[in-house]
Amino acid sequence: MEENKQTKEKMNRGRWNLVILGVAATVIAAVTTGVSLVIYHNSGDIYLDRSRPGFLPDEEEIEEETEDDEEFSFSKTGPIDLTVLEEYLKELQIEVEAIDANEKPFEEKVLSDESFGIPKQEE
Amino acid sequence: MKRFLMVLLICMMVGALNIPLVGAITEKQEKAIVGNCSGIKEQLKTLQKDDARTRVHLGGRYETILTKFMTPLNMRLLENNMSSAELVENQNDFADAKNLFNNDYINYQQGLEELASIDCKNEPAAFYEKLDKVRQKRKTVQQDVLKLRSLISKHVRLVTELRSKV
Repeated sequence: MEENKQTKEKMNRGRWNLVILGVAATVIAAVTTGVSLVIYHNSGDIYLDRSRPGFLPDEEEIEEETEDDEEFSFSKTGPIDLTVLEEYLKELQIEVEAIDANEKPFEEKVLSDESFGIPKQEE
Repeated sequence: MKRFLMVLLICMMVGALNIPLVGAITEKQEKAIVGNCSGIKEQLKTLQKDDARTRVHLGGRYETILTKFMTPLNMRLLENNMSSAELVENQNDFADAKNLFNNDYINYQQGLEELASIDCKNEPAAFYEKLDKVRQKRKTVQQDVLKLRSLISKHVRLVTELRSKV
């Protein structure tokens, strides 16, 4: 009789331990996920993450990216001569042109009153 | 007392002449914001997406120029005893400007996010005030981009000069 009681008590304790373990694991997971999200947001990585819904790249953009897969990397070692510098400038020009392809990046106009249909103050 | 009277006088003049205070919103503007609130929100969403695209594109190119062009070139020049102080200085300036661009962009995006979260239908004045601040932040990012572009031009010029000496 006493033995049965002890076994039941042990089983109850075991159940409780399992519940505590489950709750603790959930709390730890929630806290670490929360901390990760805060870091993700505050570090600014969120603004560079284009896998977010609504920020996914367009199809044509993906095609463009896959087109220029081969990236040049200037070697840190070796001689410096006319040919080397000419190749360097040629490859650098490709990057410069890619930068210049962005017409007026971050121009002010898009946040102007007119762009939002807000009349000017003097009107 | 004199100061108080002066302030009172200015307030009366502003009221009498109906001079809009800097950053203050007029009734017409308020109406326009409230009326076009959902449209403005849509525009802001599109802008966030476009900006992310530009930022990722430009940031990637700047990183490539710094790590695959400027830095290895200066190391190679050093190895060949041809190190140029101007090129090294320009590389450092470029790295600093790139970091500034990254930080200013985050700052701007945080502002834009806050702006998008303001209920422009019920708080048009708060929205307009925030819009003005975000404009300033965007201008800073734009200036960073121009600075980086001028540093790239300087680098190209310095390498071209070096080429003519080799």
